Amino acid sequence: MNFLAPAAFLFAFTLPVVVVFYLLKRKRVARVVASTLLWQKFLAETQASAPFQKLRRNWLLILQLLMLLLAILALARPYFAAKTGHSRLRVLIIDASASMQAVDENPSRFEVARKQALAWVDSLRDEDKMVVLQVAANTEVKQSETSDKSALRRAILACQAVDSPTRLLPALKMAESLIRDHGKESNPEIHLFSDGAVPDLADFGNHTLPLIYHRIGHSANNLGITALDARANPEDAGQRALYVSVGNYSTNQLQTDLELSFDGKLLETRPLTIPAGQSSAQVFVARQTHDGVFTVRSTLTDDLAVDNQASIVSLLPQPVKVLLVTAGNKFLERALRAAPNVSMAVAGDCTDTAAGFDFVVLDGITPSVWPTGNILAIHVGNTNWFAPPTALEAPSIVDWRATHPVLRYVGFDNVQIARSLATKTPTWAVSLVDAPQAPLILAGELGRQRILWIGFDPLDSNWPLRVSFPIFIANAADWLNPASVRSAELLVRAGDPFRYGLTAATNSAQVVLPGGAVEQLTVDPKATELIFGDTFRQGVYRLRVGTNDTQFCVNLLDAAESNILPRDTINLGTYSAVTATQTRRANLELWRWIAAAALLVLLFEWWYYHRRTV
Amino acid sequence: MSAPLLPPELLRRLEQFQLLAARRAKSTARGERRSAARGQSVEFADHRNYVAGDDFRYLDWNLYGRLDKFFLKLYEEERELPVRIFLDASESMAFGEPRKFDFARQVAAAVGYVALCGFDRVSVVPFPDNRDEAAVRGALRAVRGRKSTLQYFKNLTALTASGTASFNEAMRRGALEARQTGIAVVLSDFLDPAGYEAGLTALVGRGFQVNAVQILAPDELAPGAYGDLRLIDSETGGVQEVTFGKYRLAAYQQMVQNYCQRLREFSQSRGIHFFMVSSATNLEELLLKQLRQAAMWG
Repeated sequence: MNFLAPAAFLFAFTLPVVVVFYLLKRKRVARVVASTLLWQKFLAETQASAPFQKLRRNWLLILQLLMLLLAILALARPYFAAKTGHSRLRVLIIDASASMQAVDENPSRFEVARKQALAWVDSLRDEDKMVVLQVAANTEVKQSETSDKSALRRAILACQAVDSPTRLLPALKMAESLIRDHGKESNPEIHLFSDGAVPDLADFGNHTLPLIYHRIGHSANNLGITALDARANPEDAGQRALYVSVGNYSTNQLQTDLELSFDGKLLETRPLTIPAGQSSAQVFVARQTHDGVFTVRSTLTDDLAVDNQASIVSLLPQPVKVLLVTAGNKFLERALRAAPNVSMAVAGDCTDTAAGFDFVVLDGITPSVWPTGNILAIHVGNTNWFAPPTALEAPSIVDWRATHPVLRYVGFDNVQIARSLATKTPTWAVSLVDAPQAPLILAGELGRQRILWIGFDPLDSNWPLRVSFPIFIANAADWLNPASVRSAELLVRAGDPFRYGLTAATNSAQVVLPGGAVEQLTVDPKATELIFGDTFRQGVYRLRVGTNDTQFCVNLLDAAESNILPRDTINLGTYSAVTATQTRRANLELWRWIAAAALLVLLFEWWYYHRRTV
Repeated sequence: MSAPLLPPELLRRLEQFQLLAARRAKSTARGERRSAARGQSVEFADHRNYVAGDDFRYLDWNLYGRLDKFFLKLYEEERELPVRIFLDASESMAFGEPRKFDFARQVAAAVGYVALCGFDRVSVVPFPDNRDEAAVRGALRAVRGRKSTLQYFKNLTALTASGTASFNEAMRRGALEARQTGIAVVLSDFLDPAGYEAGLTALVGRGFQVNAVQILAPDELAPGAYGDLRLIDSETGGVQEVTFGKYRLAAYQQMVQNYCQRLREFSQSRGIHFFMVSSATNLEELLLKQLRQAAMWG
């Protein structure tokens, strides 16, 4: 047994005080009697006259000393130590991500985690300190380093589970920095209360982190929607195709009905049977007459409700207006015309900001006036986007970023280039195609302007003869189309900020949250972009800026989060892992029982005294 | 004068009694008690040879007729029986509900009345001394004859309880003062820190037939005051602190019983009749039953 507050034993100095009180004369009721002889004889048998003999067999005194001892013991806060050692600093990380809302624990994983964290706070010794972090899409310091238990309890009670995925890495790094200042003698510990449904921590480098992982949850009965996209139906341009991926993360085959509705109106119900551990991709085709919200819902009741529904804003496709500034390039012209839904104008120079066009293609021409919209710049050197490029002879393509939307289904095998411009990759862009010396194609966003830069003239290569060229141009037309940019922005993952480009100056906006609550936002009139960060709940949000009304959807859409099977180990980096601790409970405190015993002794003493004197 | 000491009905019943003396009276005054002395009475005692000068009136002529010798008839002399009542009039007797002293006076009155009715001499010896009551006490020193009853009661009523008594000293002095021994009745609470043994022994040693009546107040037998008490002795002023509650009542009562039992055993070992009564006891119960059964009177 150990003591959380051994200083309370100083109260033991009060024990002699009780004895002294007994040695002092009590206030008694004076009474004249005929003779005290009988009383003397009576007392002679029960009470001696010497001071210390008075104390002999004085049960009241013994009871009071016992009560005081119990009170001191309770103040010293004895406890039976758990398996963990003494730690002067504990960092509690409470996972508040979507998977912690699973109800396989009663009432939920998050509440169980909160309860365990509170138990650790209870066992905190007076001289020890604690930090409370809440981790979900971002890490929040709920309580900085303190010994104040009430503040720690308040902080833990203030934690709320959200619908966003877990990003544990920043939390671990923050915890690492918090314990770095404390020496080894303080034996700092990091306690993670989580179900282990976290993305890979391969980038984490500290293998000696004193991390104690408290695993929450025991089963995984979940079926979740992990992907959702809405596109034009390739077979019928008047229809929309919705791609839905549903994963079964339980150990049993599950059956559900997948419901598709548009603006709340049910369009289709599709029964679905998914084997254990498998996922099913479903395509819904629906006619759409106006911009609206498609919602997909799984009717199966499982442990995690957040991922049973996903919504997406679908905007009707508009013709893409393209200005091609070229001295003449048939390949490019044809490829652009082949791209779906494109209406193109060709010019020899750009004399204004080309505000009427969705994007501008600069084919080897430096415009007189730079357009403000998105730009596909081909072999344009004189820009202010990066340092003036140099010439590069016969670069060979060694790598390309196939995951980028622009390079979807695009390969650069057998593409030879005679010459190219070479520059360093600027910070705002990523390199899509690399030669050993320099990037050949860059894509990025400068301000709110999307720029796709090709360093070489396609006519100086055999690329236009390859099938990848028209696909690239079609992808680029889609990527540079502001409408598709906007529709992508309208699908937000829970916890990520929603960005909205402001076309006119305004100083206020309001957001209607999924629950119906309205949040007023104050906007800087000079701002060109509105960023809304309170996207922790899944559902359809409505943003009102001036007279514009915009809907956007927040979804979990995270396979790692939907897989709610509690993990026994969390991998830290490549070579180390932390295993769930078996210590389910923090230090067992005894003071409540001792205080209760002291109270009983007090009651007994009262009764005894009462019985003695009445 | 307040209420009479004894109700008339009780007095009427007491008239039937006579104090029973185990020994013959030794006093010199004539009375109605048989004595060892020979004198004039109707009770024949013995014969003796005639010697010159004897009164011819007492010659037994019948014997002279048969034996032709002169014998003189002797008769028992009847003397009075001195009854000495030792009445504890100390401060401690003024306590109790009813007061112990009142009860003691009633007993003294009853004993005295029985003695006076039997033509015995009654002496009441209150202790300790009280100069203020010298006249009354002097009158109570020797009371004789039934006609003195009223004055006897009046004087008893005039007595008060005050002062500090030394039981042993009072008994010893009373024993020495008595010219003739007889019946001694000691009415006290026997709560003297110095004890009672020496006093009682002195009385017995002087030849008294001692009857001891211990009178305790109901509150002394079963105290009704509980809590943290500071008890002050009414006589000595001594202080005794005590914490007392109901749960110790039995222990207290046991202690009182033990105390009384010791006194009883002491008395029995010296031929003393001992009675222990509460001042709340019915007086008739004591006088007509207990004392009679104990052969104090009959």
